[in-house]
Amino acid sequence: MAVDLETRLAIQDLYTAEAEMLDDRRFEDWLELFTEDVAYTAPIRVHRKAPANDVIDDIGHFDDTKRSLTLRVKRLRTDVAWSEDPPSHTRRFVTNLRIVPNGDGELAVRSNLMLFRSRGDLGAYDLIVGERHDQLRSVEGEWRIARRRAILDQASLGTKNLGVFL
Amino acid sequence: MPLLDRRTAAEVCDRLRETVDPEGGHIPMFVYADPDVYRLELERLFPRTWQFVAHASEIPNPGSFVVRDMGEESVIVGRGEDGVVRVFLNSCRHRGMKLACEDFGEVTMWRCPYHGFTYASTGEFMGTMIGAPYERAAYPGGLDRDALHLIEARCESYQDLVFATWAPEAPSLHDYLGNVRWYLDLMFGRAEMEVVGVPQKWVVPSGWKLPSENFTADAYHTATAHAFLGRLNLAKGVDFGRDGYHVDPGGGHGLGVGVHFDDESYFPAELRDEYAARLSPEQLALLDRVKNLHGNVFPNLSFLTPNFIEVGGRRVSGIMLRLWQPAGPGRLQVWSWHLVEKNAPDWWKRLGKQMYVQTFGTSGMFDQDDTENWEAQTRNATASLARQGEVMLHYEMGIESEPLTDFPGPGRVYDGKFSEAAGRTYYRVWLDHLLEEGA
Repeated sequence: MAVDLETRLAIQDLYTAEAEMLDDRRFEDWLELFTEDVAYTAPIRVHRKAPANDVIDDIGHFDDTKRSLTLRVKRLRTDVAWSEDPPSHTRRFVTNLRIVPNGDGELAVRSNLMLFRSRGDLGAYDLIVGERHDQLRSVEGEWRIARRRAILDQASLGTKNLGVFL
Repeated sequence: MPLLDRRTAAEVCDRLRETVDPEGGHIPMFVYADPDVYRLELERLFPRTWQFVAHASEIPNPGSFVVRDMGEESVIVGRGEDGVVRVFLNSCRHRGMKLACEDFGEVTMWRCPYHGFTYASTGEFMGTMIGAPYERAAYPGGLDRDALHLIEARCESYQDLVFATWAPEAPSLHDYLGNVRWYLDLMFGRAEMEVVGVPQKWVVPSGWKLPSENFTADAYHTATAHAFLGRLNLAKGVDFGRDGYHVDPGGGHGLGVGVHFDDESYFPAELRDEYAARLSPEQLALLDRVKNLHGNVFPNLSFLTPNFIEVGGRRVSGIMLRLWQPAGPGRLQVWSWHLVEKNAPDWWKRLGKQMYVQTFGTSGMFDQDDTENWEAQTRNATASLARQGEVMLHYEMGIESEPLTDFPGPGRVYDGKFSEAAGRTYYRVWLDHLLEEGA
């Protein structure tokens, strides 16, 4: 079942706004996009022979709640958050939206993420790429992210830390 | 064949002999990431020491295997059909192709994807298996099955930590670990442990010794590098490791134990019977006071019980095991495992995992800042000034201190965690390995 055009545009605007908030480091605004009960995870990819599952959810790169995401943001606002101060230059490209209503008023949304991150000199940059599986819920007329599962496309990450949000 | 030509090796050794002065507390910066030093490490250090390859819980069944690295070598760590854990070079005896091309799995035999050369899970060559008629036509004289046995490393375990070495003359793992065993008991032997999921892996542009020595002997950095902990009031009584003990067990290993003075242990009461059954009364008494515990098994296996942070009124922590795999003079791959007591209550498992992921590992609020430091140190160490002349670094913390005489655990134990004693021993053992030509 497809969503109506109005909903599709609203969701697209939400993801565009989210990318802007993160790239502009408006982290407190970004936190508002999540429901109070959000589970924010990023499973680990492995190399397995087909047809074995290559996404491991038993542990991940993130295992966060609204409370811990808020803590991460508070940390970034101290003057001792060395890994992101000076901040990385980031640019997020969020594409390939796939929106599926799941029957109880929530939406399952998949999107592709390409996150460009540059720190330091000599033209160095990292690309962090993956697919996000979100669950969106309407809260007081606004779409909010109730679940995020970011599946990164590397078994061994090529960035020295995930000091940036996915 | 040596990896470094003999004249260069002799020059590098002369320079190391003249400039590396662990007992005096002076280490020249070039050793962090010098390409020639790195080649000597691959030649003389990694093949001759015990390398951590897996936790036994990762290979629970006959046929279970994981693919790991020893230095730069890919190895298969497998539990054979007979239940015995063995470590093989992940390389076919025919053309050197990798036998295991996935991260883990279960097999009854290894079959090379190139020409079908096949090996039992115990390492014996079994045939080319594409069909006996083909093998008879290709090799009418037959194949020497013994000569085609997989190349096997020595493999021994302590507290379910599986290690391997290529050195037939190396001491037993038991003797190699020596005094650090008493402390590994606290971390990994206090209960039946299991790995949760799989290790995180990522690449950091840092020499591999920097994080290793950090976990060995650097409690002091926490007050600055991880100052946010106190700034945000995340843990009760933050002292950044002043209260506790610095341990130089010998052998290049090292650790620090942070202690608290509360009445109750920070560990779950539900597990106390299991702890008591597995630890000595002295070990249990120390565990009751543990606030954090960090350390390193020489040369590159680190372990950590991070600070206990309160979540929902509970103090929780999560065990971490960490391998700093060399991947070039200024580059390493991090492997980070989370372990938990198998019989722990669900709340400890759930919150401990969250605490580990949020504070350590790829996104960990502590780890992030450490990687920033190690990358910048590596960059400075590989610039021309440090390569050409000697930029000497300061390793003198605690050099005048005398060890305690009444501490129940073995090794040279110092009151307070602020000491670099084990770091000095780390570089002494490292230097002795690099200067030893033989074998």
